[in-house]
Amino acid sequence: MASIARSSLLRQVASARPAFQQSAIRAAAFHTTARRQLLPPLPLNDAAPVPPTSPSHGSYHWTLDRLVAASLIPLTVAPFAAGSLNPTLDAVLCATILIHSHTGFQNIIVDYVPKKRMPGVRKLFIWGLNAATAVVGLALYEFETTDVGITETIKRVWTA
Amino acid sequence: MAALRSSASRLLGAAASRPALRAAVTPAAVRGMATVTDGQQQHQAASGEKTNLKTFQIYRWNPDTPTEKPRMQSYTLDLNKTGPMVLDALIRIKNELDPTLTFRRSCREGICGSCAMNINGTNTLACLCRIPAESNADMKIYPLPHTFVVKDLVPDLTQFYKQYKSIKPYLQRDTPAEDGKEYRQTKADRKKLDGLYECILCACCSTSCPSYWWNSEEYLGPAILLQSYRWLVDSRDERTAERKDALNNSMSLYRCHTILNCTRTCPKGLNPGLAIAEIKKSMAF
Amino acid sequence: MRLSGLQKEVLSLYRNCLRECRKKPEASRKNFQVFARTEFEKNIKIDKRDFGAIEFLLRKGRRQLDMYASPGVKDIK
Repeated sequence: MASIARSSLLRQVASARPAFQQSAIRAAAFHTTARRQLLPPLPLNDAAPVPPTSPSHGSYHWTLDRLVAASLIPLTVAPFAAGSLNPTLDAVLCATILIHSHTGFQNIIVDYVPKKRMPGVRKLFIWGLNAATAVVGLALYEFETTDVGITETIKRVWTA
Repeated sequence: MAALRSSASRLLGAAASRPALRAAVTPAAVRGMATVTDGQQQHQAASGEKTNLKTFQIYRWNPDTPTEKPRMQSYTLDLNKTGPMVLDALIRIKNELDPTLTFRRSCREGICGSCAMNINGTNTLACLCRIPAESNADMKIYPLPHTFVVKDLVPDLTQFYKQYKSIKPYLQRDTPAEDGKEYRQTKADRKKLDGLYECILCACCSTSCPSYWWNSEEYLGPAILLQSYRWLVDSRDERTAERKDALNNSMSLYRCHTILNCTRTCPKGLNPGLAIAEIKKSMAF
Repeated sequence: MRLSGLQKEVLSLYRNCLRECRKKPEASRKNFQVFARTEFEKNIKIDKRDFGAIEFLLRKGRRQLDMYASPGVKDIK
């Protein structure tokens, strides 16, 4: 029914045009089938939503993770290889370990406390982690400035 | 745990020694291509009335009676009258023992990816998994782990396909081809797609990934990321930056922790783990 | 009466069903409402602690709702 109406409509349009175009249009009308959607596409076939881009949680975070992890190796070995204790090196080691464990725990929380299902618990965990990192950072700072420092402690515990 | 670690190191070694994406994986279950001669020999053996019985324990659950718990049902078959692959056994069970057994199958030669299921603890294609003839232990067949079950061995892969759709798995270009006919590619560029285009989206790898088990709503999973990489490295595609932006968040890509279950289980011998590592590397700086 | 999370989900699904019914043409609206009610009544005897079954039926119900809510569906028997 619809196709008959369409072809007559096309013919009307075509009659207003020169003859050589008319045949071309008729041929086109003959060959192409109109896209007719019998049913609207089912909502079940929608693509999964793409989250917004945020490099600080994505690629930068990952790169920082790897850089910190890789730099920990020379930092751990350096004081023992050099045989001397350097407070700056010690401080850098402390800071790196702190960042390393912070991002590590962050990954665990992101993995196991899904934001969608329990947003409140997620927030609690993230802030708990931030607080814990701050406390440990403060403690390490105190330890470095007033006590012997981490490398020396490990050395003493090792030989004790 | 130890087995996992050793195989992971073996994989890493293989991947390091060969840049190609295919790693030498020797999966736990014996897998191979079905051959015609196998079947013929089996039939000849059957004439010499020796029976070789094997029990298959198969996960059963019927959605029409949702209050009934899922159960394992045992079926015993004579292997001498059955084809060499697990799928042959399943088809025979459905034909002769229990027509209510439900599973997906289509090509029976490992190219459609329909018959993906968990056989003896390994996600694989039933049509590529040989029935181990040497041991008498029961075979245990489950649907793919951590998927909603539609019925018996049929998993609900809706989310998997939705995620596949979300990565836009088609060529995106703005400039027309130089000769107006086709988009040309150097041999080296084409070679990059080897080990990627063979993926049949059977979902074996994604459903073997613990990260995907916990975060399947947001993490894309190894199969989809392998396909992502397939479009990222394609020299003809012009939306590489957009594709990378879509992955650049905490969930889509970076929930991969290089567990490498995906590479261990892939029935086609591909290496999704390496593909994901390549994506991460290309996005790092 | 305090309802568990699962019971609330079931009720919200039923409410969503009725809401979608209202978008259907006047003539067949009643049919949709009856259909939704019978679908729910089919499983009314399920124990409220049978979480697996209820969750499955919820998933199935949501899928059905998605399907029947599409504007192409005009009537239901």
